[in-house]
Amino acid sequence: MKHERIAIIDGIRTPIAKAGGLLKNIQAETLGAHVVQELALRVGIDYDRYDEIIIGNVSQPVHAANIARVIGLKAGFGESIPAYTVHRNCASGMESISTATAKILSGQGEIYMCGGVESMSNIPLLFSPALTAVFEGLFKSRSVAEKLKNISHLRPAFLKPIIGLMQGLTDPTNGLMMGSTAEILAQDFGISREAQDIYASMSHNKAQAAQMAGIFAQEIVPIVYDALRGKMMMDDDGIRYDQTPDKLAKLQPFFDRKNGTVTAGNSSQVSDAAAAVVVMSESKAKELGLEPLGYLSAYAYAGLDPSRMGLGPVYSTAKIFKQTGLTLKDIEIIEMNEAFAVQILANLKAFASVAYAKQHLNQSTALGSIDESILNIHGGAIALGHPVGMTGTRIVIHLLKALRQQNKNRGLATLCIGGGQGASMILEVS
Amino acid sequence: MKTNNFTLTVVEGIATLVFDIPDSKVNILNHQSMEELNGHLDALKNNKEIKVLRFVSAKKDIFIAGADITEIRSLDDCDRAYEIVRRGQIILEKIAYLPFPTIAVIDGACLGGGFELALRCTYRVATENKATKIGLPEVNLGVIPGFGGTQTLKALIGPSKALELILGAKYINGAKALKLGMIDACVPQGYLDFKLEAFTKAILNPATREAILNKRYKFTMVERMFPWLITSVAYKTVMQKSKGKYPALLAVIDIFKKTNGMELTRALEYEANTFSQMAVTPESKNLISVYFAIEAVKNEKPLVDKEALLPIRFTSVIGGGAMGGGIVWLFAKMDLLVRLYARSFDKAAQTLQHVAQSFEFLKKRRSLNSREVDMKLSLISYGTDLNSFGHSDLAIEAIVEDVATKKQTFKDLEAVMRDDAIIATNTSSLSINMLCEDMKHPERFVGMHFFNPVEQMPLVEIIPSKQTKLEVIATIVALAKKAGKTPIIVNDCPGFLVNRILLPYINECAKMLDQGESVERIDALIENFGMPMGPFILADTVGLDVGYKVASVLSQGYGERMEVSKLLDRAYNELHLLGKKANKGFYLHEGKNKKLNPEIELLKSGKIRFTDEEIVDRALLVMVNEAAYCLSEGIVKNAQHLDVAMIMGTGFPPFRGGLLKYADAYGLEKVLHSLLRLRDKHGMRFEPAPLLRELAHKGSTFYKGIR
Repeated sequence: MKHERIAIIDGIRTPIAKAGGLLKNIQAETLGAHVVQELALRVGIDYDRYDEIIIGNVSQPVHAANIARVIGLKAGFGESIPAYTVHRNCASGMESISTATAKILSGQGEIYMCGGVESMSNIPLLFSPALTAVFEGLFKSRSVAEKLKNISHLRPAFLKPIIGLMQGLTDPTNGLMMGSTAEILAQDFGISREAQDIYASMSHNKAQAAQMAGIFAQEIVPIVYDALRGKMMMDDDGIRYDQTPDKLAKLQPFFDRKNGTVTAGNSSQVSDAAAAVVVMSESKAKELGLEPLGYLSAYAYAGLDPSRMGLGPVYSTAKIFKQTGLTLKDIEIIEMNEAFAVQILANLKAFASVAYAKQHLNQSTALGSIDESILNIHGGAIALGHPVGMTGTRIVIHLLKALRQQNKNRGLATLCIGGGQGASMILEVS
Repeated sequence: MKTNNFTLTVVEGIATLVFDIPDSKVNILNHQSMEELNGHLDALKNNKEIKVLRFVSAKKDIFIAGADITEIRSLDDCDRAYEIVRRGQIILEKIAYLPFPTIAVIDGACLGGGFELALRCTYRVATENKATKIGLPEVNLGVIPGFGGTQTLKALIGPSKALELILGAKYINGAKALKLGMIDACVPQGYLDFKLEAFTKAILNPATREAILNKRYKFTMVERMFPWLITSVAYKTVMQKSKGKYPALLAVIDIFKKTNGMELTRALEYEANTFSQMAVTPESKNLISVYFAIEAVKNEKPLVDKEALLPIRFTSVIGGGAMGGGIVWLFAKMDLLVRLYARSFDKAAQTLQHVAQSFEFLKKRRSLNSREVDMKLSLISYGTDLNSFGHSDLAIEAIVEDVATKKQTFKDLEAVMRDDAIIATNTSSLSINMLCEDMKHPERFVGMHFFNPVEQMPLVEIIPSKQTKLEVIATIVALAKKAGKTPIIVNDCPGFLVNRILLPYINECAKMLDQGESVERIDALIENFGMPMGPFILADTVGLDVGYKVASVLSQGYGERMEVSKLLDRAYNELHLLGKKANKGFYLHEGKNKKLNPEIELLKSGKIRFTDEEIVDRALLVMVNEAAYCLSEGIVKNAQHLDVAMIMGTGFPPFRGGLLKYADAYGLEKVLHSLLRLRDKHGMRFEPAPLLRELAHKGSTFYKGIR
C-alpha cells in the first residue's frame, strides 16, 4: 500500500438551487453529467485515461439506478469507462473521493472522476402501502367484477402520499427526523433559539459577502435550466441578502411545534446541485505536469449515537487527529457542514469540552476550542443549501479554494452524517 | 440467353426463390431479371409439389431496390414505354395467379417495382432492420408506379393512405408498414429464420391463416362511399405544394380518380398508359438526370482510404448565432460531443434555446423521443473561454464575416488546440487561402460552408485552401455525409460556388427593379419558373445586411460583372432595411403575412417594364453565365456537381434538372444569343463566358462538355 497524498486536480459545481425552484426540472444525472463533462474538458486529460467514475448520491433516483454510470455516459465518456455510485448519506460526495483514494493507494487505478449529485426536488412522493395493495389487486384482477371489488377497497385516506424527502431525512432505527436529532443537541447543550438564529443569520451575511465578491463564481459552472426558453442559472439562489436574527425569529419551529428551537430558517436548505473533482496520486499529477488545486492528506469516518448524529464531526476529527498527530492549531480554515445552526454550536461546545472528550472520545484532553473566525468563513449550507449527496464534494472544493484565496495551507473539511456518523478530511494547498 | 439471377429450391413443399443478381450489390428489376422471373413463374404454376413459395433476396439490406432507372431514362417513345410496362404488369400478375400462396420476405430496401412485386404476393413479412424501407417513390423520378402499384397498394391499404404514400414518395420502415397494413408481420432481423418458419406454418393452417387475413385493412366508409373526396383533397394539397409543376403527381391522382370501380385489367392498362406518358416528359428526364447527378456526387471516390480519416469525437463551435446554433444542433444530433464557445453565458443560453427548439421540432415529428433528445442535449457544453479546446478534434468558426476577427480567432484556436486538430470556417464568401495565411498549421484549415437554416439545407460546400491536407478534406466530407448532408468540394474563390452564382441573380433582379420593374411581378415570374421563393422574398429571408455584405465581397472580387445594384445599396445603406428579422425589407412582414414596402418605390430610378421572357432570361442567364465561369475556372468538378449544389443549396427546381441542365435544354446557342442581346442592351456583365461561347459553337452542352 502506497502512502502519499491524493491530488485534487480541479473541482467545480453547479449553482445550488432551492428545491422546487430553478433546477427542479433537471434530474440529478443531468446535473451530474453537466459538471463531470465540464470538468473533464477543463482538466484536459484524455477521456479514455480515466479509470473510473465514482459519484455520491443519496436519493438514488429510480429511473437512473447506478446514477454514476448514467452520468458517465451522458457526459460523453466512452462505454469502456466503468462507473459506480457510493452512498454515505450526507457525506456521499466526500465518500466518492475517499473511495477513489483507497483505490489509488491500493494500486487499482490512477485517475478518477469523483463527485456528488442531488436533486431533492425530484425525490418522489410514494403511494401508501394501502393504496399499493389496491393497485396490486387491480393489476391481478381478470374480470370487471373483480376490478370493481378491488376498487371498492379504496378509501380517501389511502390517497395521502408518503413524502419521500421526509422519509429520507428520518432515521429508520429511531424514527427521528434529522431536525429532531438537532433538537436533542439543543437540549443536551442548552442552546437557545436566539443563539441559533444569530448563527444562521451570520451564515447568510457571510455568504452574501462572498457571493458579492465573486468567490462562489470561481467554483460555479453556469447551467442552462430551461433550454427551450434559453434560461441560464449563474449563481446560488438560497442566500437571503440582509438577513437578520429578527427576521428569523418570526419563523415557527418545524420539528417540535410547541417547544422546539429548530426552524426552517436556522436549518440547512433543501436544494438541487452537483459537484465534481478529478483525483489522482500526487506523483501522478507531477508526472502529468498538472498543477493541482490541492491535496487530500488524510480522511476518517466515525460512528456515534444516531439520535445525536450532528456531533459526527467531533468523532471523526478526533480520529483524524489521532491518525495524523495534527491538532486544531495546525488547522487554518475549517469547513464544517451546517446541517443545523444548533448542530454547529453543539460541535463548538463538544470540541472545547474536556468532559465530553473524556466521556465520549476516550481521551483526557479536549479537541480544543475552534476559532470561529476560521470556521465556515463564507457561510454554509444554511445560506447556500444542502443538496445532501453533493455537499461533501462542495466543501472539499470550497475549502481548497478558500485556503488559496487566503494564502493559507491546511484546512479541515468535516460533516455530520444522518444515521450517526462523522466525516473529516485534512486538505492542503501545497 | 441463360441467366442466373434467381435460384429455386424446394424442401418439403416449401419453395424459396432467391433473387441474387450476380456481381451486383443490389437487386433491381431490369429487362433481364423480369424475363427470367417470368420463366420461373411459368414453370412454377405447374409444379404440384409446392405448397407455398417465398421470395427472398440474397443481398444484404436490400430486397429489391426497384426498377432499372437507366431503362426508364432511355424510354423516349410512348408506345414502347407502354409495351414494356404492360409486360411488367403481366409478369408480376402471374405471381397472384399461382395455385399456392406466396410470401415476400423483406429484409432491406423494398422500393418501387420491388414493392410492386411484393404487393402481388399473398403475404409480406418484413424485418425491423434499419435498412428495411418500403415504398413507391416513383414520383421522385417524374414517373408513377407502373407495375400495378397504384391498384394493388390501394386494394391493400385503402386509397387515402396509398395516395399519401405514393405522392409523398415515402419510405416506410417495418414497424410503421405493419401499422399501415402494408405487410402482415414485422420481426426482428435476428429472429427472421424461425419467425418465417412459424409464419409459413401459420398460413398453411386455415384457422391461423384466417386470423392473419382478418388483420388486413378495411376500407373506411368515406373510402367506400366518397372516393372522389379523397382525390379532390389530395389534388388541392398537391397543387398547393408543387404548384402543378410536377405532372406525375397529378397523374397519380388522376389514376386514383379514373380507376375507381374500374375492372382490374382495364385499370392496369390505364396505369400503364399513364406511366408511358409520364416517362417521356422532360420533367421525368430532368428528375432522372438529377437522380444520377446526386448518385454521382454520393459515389464520388473518397480522397483517402477510410483508415486515413481523422477521428472526430470532440467538436467545438465558435459563435452561437443562427449558423453556429444550427451546427451545434447538427453535431449533437450526430452524437458528437460539442463545445460551444460564446461571448457570454447569456449568448450561450440563446444558442441552447435555438438548439433545443430544433430538437423539439424533431420530437413533435416523432423522429426522436424525449430521452434521445435529453441524451443529445447533454453532449453540448458551453463556456466563455477556450480552456477546454485541447480536446477538440474539430473546431468550426461561425462568427461575423470580418477578416481581422476571424484571423484572431484562428490564432487563439491554434494556441490551445492540438496541431493535428482540424480548424474549419463557415464563412460564406471570404477567401479560404487568405484566411489561413497567418496560421501556423494551415494544412489543417478548411472551409465548411453550411447553408441557412442548417437544420434543413442539405448542401455543404467544402473549400480546401491550397495547403489543406487531403485527410482533412476527406474527413470533413465524411463528416458532412454522416450528418446526412450533401458535401460538394469547391475551389476557393470569392463567394465559392453557390453564392457566387446566386448573388448575381438577386443583384440582376434588383437592377430590373431599379429600372422600373415591380417587386411582385419579378417574384411571381421567378416562382412560376419554379424557384422556391422569389428573389426579393429570398433577400428578405436571408437578411439584406447579409446579402449586401456578400454582394460587396463579390463586387470586390469580380469587378464590373458583379457591381452591386444601386437599389440594393440604397435599400441597405440609406433605408437600413434588414428584411424579415426586422419585419421590413422589400416587403413589410406581419407574422406570416406580407405586403409590399412602399419605400421601395422611391428607390427606383427608371420606369421601364420588361417582357416576361426578358425578366426570366435576365435572372436565369446571368446565373448560367457565371456557372460557365465557375466550370472553366475549375471551381467545381463538373456540371453534375454544380447542378446538385444549386438544387441543394438554393432549391433550384429539380424538375428543371438543375441550372446547367436548364441551359442545355434551352440550347446553348440560344443562350449565347440571348446573352449577347442582353449585353448590348444592359451592359458588359452579360458578356458570355468563353466556355459558353465554345460549347455553343461546337453545338455541345454543359453536360457533354468539350470533346
